[in-house]
Amino acid sequence: MRIAVIPQTEGTIFWEAAHAGAEQAAAPHGISIYWTAPTREDDVEAQITLVNRVVDRHYQGLVLAPDQALSLITPVRRALAHGIPTVVIGSPLSIPPGGNLFYILSDDEEGGRLAAERAAALLKGHGTVGLLGINPDILGIMTRARAFEQFLAQNDPGIHIVEKRMGSFNAPHEQQMAEETLRANPNLNVIVALMPTTVDGTLSALNMAPEGHPVKVIGFDDTGLPPIDAAGTGPFGQKSSLDSIIQGDSRAMGQQAVELIQARLLGHPVPAIVLLHPKLITRDNMNSPEVRVMLSQDWTCGRWRWGSIQ
Amino acid sequence: MWPLALGFNSMKPSPRHEWRVLFGSLACLLMALGFLALRGYLRDPNRSLPYRDSFARGKADEWSALGGTWELVDGVMRNDSDERGAKLLTGSPYWHNYAIEADVKLLGTSGDAGLVIRSSDEEEGVNDYSGYYAGVRTIDNSLVLGRAAHGWQETIKQGPAPGAIRPFQLYHLKLIAYDCQIAAAVAASSSMVPISLAISDPACADSGRVGLRSYSSGGMWRNVVVRRASHEDLIAMLGGSGGQSDSSPRNAAILNAGSLALEAQTENQKAAASFSSKTQSIRSLRLTSSAEPSIATVRGGVVLTAPILIVQDSTGGAYIAHPNSPLLKVGDEVEVIGQAHPGNFSSTIEHATVKVLWAQTPMPPVSVTASQASTGKFDAQFVEVQGHLTGKEHGSDNSLILNLDEGPQSFRAILNPGRSDYLFNTLKLGSSLRVRGICIVDQTVTQNLTPFVMLLRSNEDLEVLAGPPWWSTRHIIAIVFGSLLLALVVNFVYHRIAHWRMQGVLEERQRLAHEMHDTLAQSFAGIGFQLQAIRNRLPEESSVVLQQLDMASNLVRHSHEEARRSIATLRPESLESEDILSALDLCARRMVEGGTVQVVSEREGDQRHIPLRIADTLYRIGQEAVANAVRHAQPTILTIRLRNSQNLASLQIGDDGTGFQKGNGLLGFGIRGMQRRAQSISAEFHIESAPGAGTRIRIDAPLPPRVTLTTWPKALWRHLKEQWTDVRPSKHADSHSYRG
Repeated sequence: MRIAVIPQTEGTIFWEAAHAGAEQAAAPHGISIYWTAPTREDDVEAQITLVNRVVDRHYQGLVLAPDQALSLITPVRRALAHGIPTVVIGSPLSIPPGGNLFYILSDDEEGGRLAAERAAALLKGHGTVGLLGINPDILGIMTRARAFEQFLAQNDPGIHIVEKRMGSFNAPHEQQMAEETLRANPNLNVIVALMPTTVDGTLSALNMAPEGHPVKVIGFDDTGLPPIDAAGTGPFGQKSSLDSIIQGDSRAMGQQAVELIQARLLGHPVPAIVLLHPKLITRDNMNSPEVRVMLSQDWTCGRWRWGSIQ
Repeated sequence: MWPLALGFNSMKPSPRHEWRVLFGSLACLLMALGFLALRGYLRDPNRSLPYRDSFARGKADEWSALGGTWELVDGVMRNDSDERGAKLLTGSPYWHNYAIEADVKLLGTSGDAGLVIRSSDEEEGVNDYSGYYAGVRTIDNSLVLGRAAHGWQETIKQGPAPGAIRPFQLYHLKLIAYDCQIAAAVAASSSMVPISLAISDPACADSGRVGLRSYSSGGMWRNVVVRRASHEDLIAMLGGSGGQSDSSPRNAAILNAGSLALEAQTENQKAAASFSSKTQSIRSLRLTSSAEPSIATVRGGVVLTAPILIVQDSTGGAYIAHPNSPLLKVGDEVEVIGQAHPGNFSSTIEHATVKVLWAQTPMPPVSVTASQASTGKFDAQFVEVQGHLTGKEHGSDNSLILNLDEGPQSFRAILNPGRSDYLFNTLKLGSSLRVRGICIVDQTVTQNLTPFVMLLRSNEDLEVLAGPPWWSTRHIIAIVFGSLLLALVVNFVYHRIAHWRMQGVLEERQRLAHEMHDTLAQSFAGIGFQLQAIRNRLPEESSVVLQQLDMASNLVRHSHEEARRSIATLRPESLESEDILSALDLCARRMVEGGTVQVVSEREGDQRHIPLRIADTLYRIGQEAVANAVRHAQPTILTIRLRNSQNLASLQIGDDGTGFQKGNGLLGFGIRGMQRRAQSISAEFHIESAPGAGTRIRIDAPLPPRVTLTTWPKALWRHLKEQWTDVRPSKHADSHSYRG
């Protein structure tokens, strides 16, 4: 059996974990995983080409983390028309699940709520927040943003969102957005960065600020930077503004997606939607076993078999 | 005598020939008359008159639009666009003296709407046509009448009281053209005193179509009637309504229109100034709070009025839900105040108050690809997309849905029924289309089937760039069958020509045989008799002379026999009426006539038709074999055997003569010629002989299979294969054999 897994991009810790999960699920059953992705998260046309290629090559299953909620509708409908079970992971498409289409998603409602709770805890009910990295291409991000706003409006009316910025997968652009936000709001207390590139751009902007800035950053989906430690410093000893990360479990997504396709092909009942709970990672829990597993880059149970050279 | 007779016959045509000439002339005359009658019918200035619209029945296929957003709504033709000079045209370009009347309603305060008469040379543009236009105009409370000739000259007559011409009120407008006099009259359905106006145009437009037209204001039309007009109708219209005549259309009206427009603009600016100055871009609405809807003010142009109001500015488009607004038209610049609800790709303003700031010409579409449109970045915006038509269907609300593909993306275009029905039905799958409309990504419209849907405002928003590719499956099948049919025809013609050529050769041989029989053979016989007579008179003592005479007589006899053989060879009788075996038997008996050789003929299998070319070749080979046996083998029995099977004709000539040693240089006995002939029909040639054991020659000739409905493709293939493989190298031998 051959299953294609096409994440938003590859070469990042977040999506390589999904790869490890897929391999882990596939290996015991002799399933072959075809892992491929665009080199950038915003290269939608490349991802469409990859999906069409998978359809043309008659793979038995497709796991897709879409780069764009609308543009992938036609290719995915084509895959479904060819009878290929398709599991969308990460962020949904604008198609309801059903038939051969399944979703294994990060619960972005909960992610937004976790971010709002963290911001409320940091600000103790009063302060200003900037919401950066709003990107309608990824519906999950829009869900995070709305859930964040709703929670604060209902539970912490003393916290005001004073700045909202659209985001992209371009880190310099995100840095510029963060710099403009900080200039426009010098007393800003918290920045919520909805995208990994926004986290990178915002931290870069803060690091380049001459006198530093007291703002705290709550980010989503770590891309590999290890800025949180017990002392609140970065890897080179610099002061880090990153307060916490709300991390989706991409490894579980990849693993469960492959298992779901296999179950589907065997005729077993499978759920149409699975929501995986994201985890708020702070310096308080970053060394817990659960978080260590989530952030682990040890993928030996997946593709690689380490051993001594004979 | 023959050439003379031929010449005489050619100078005096036969009755049949005369009949043909007469029939041909009559047919030509009828065709010419038919053409003239058709031309006269098409150019009839009153053809299809009177005309009544079918708007009430939802039909307007005969109307074609230039600009605007023309749609049938509740039996009324409606243009919801502020475009300047939008036209909808129909009728014959040869209509000459006629009148058009209709109920007209203006949909704006700063333009006019009316009727066009004698229109021709129309193009999209404000005054890009040749003809006359009459309309009601609110801005100066007037009835306007003018001449358009890719420019504009007009005269006006103002209403009897201020406000006599108002928007959203129904007027009955009539426009008449008789020779070079044009008159217009307008009356409200209420108690308004009719206003009429006439011009006399010495260089008038002579004929043309009718049309509906609006300028900087939408309009509604119904009850459009066109009928023939007479001079009395013209007088009655002007006399009955106290009309005024003007024989000098004024260029200055353009200035008037300009100053009037300026006044309108000033009024609009005052109105605009009275609105909120806290406007924001439509794009910025997407960053407003989704938890606590805020009141927002935006300005933009109306790009769609139904089924939902959409306003667009330079940054994006927004849906206006539940608006409190006046009647809006596409192109209206409006200010919208309401609750902003940000969406993923665009925003919605709910419970909005909409105020019209300006009446503008609608903005042009942004040209994008389907891939760009499918990102949602052009949601609620007026765009232009190309695609290939892959399907057509009717929506649940009877809307017309086109399924299109471009590259990896699929999308749909939705047209309103009514005017678009005809276009929808005539579109061919596979056509390349350009659609202009509002890009919608909302799931309630897309139904999650495609990334986006294009809502078309009228069928003019749909343009066929190219028809479906010619190389369709149906056409390829047609080509294959056509080619096969052509091959069959060519094959048939080829064989008919070959048959005729063969017949010509046979007839020529027969003629030569007759000539030889009547001249050469008779001469030999005469010489022989004369020699015999001389010999009889000579005394027995002249032994030397007698001996020479005997020698001469023997030579003459021998030559006579040779001549008879040659004649027998050249006279195959008719192979068409006789089978080969009978012909060869007859030929052999002639050759051995007077001798002791016995001829035996045998047949095996059913007698069947053998194609003439094969039959002739077999006959020639058999003839040569018989001649060789008679000349050289001194046989006592000559056997001719023909065996027919389904696909093979086998001819065998055998004798019990002296025979010969094969490979002994004896191939000169015509054997090479026989082999060449056999090759020409793809036959196998066998020869068996030994000294004292006689000779047997056998030719196995393949026969074409009997062609039936089921076997003809195989037969055709075999024949073509033979033509291009076996026969080609044997053509030379074939022609050689005929010459020989």
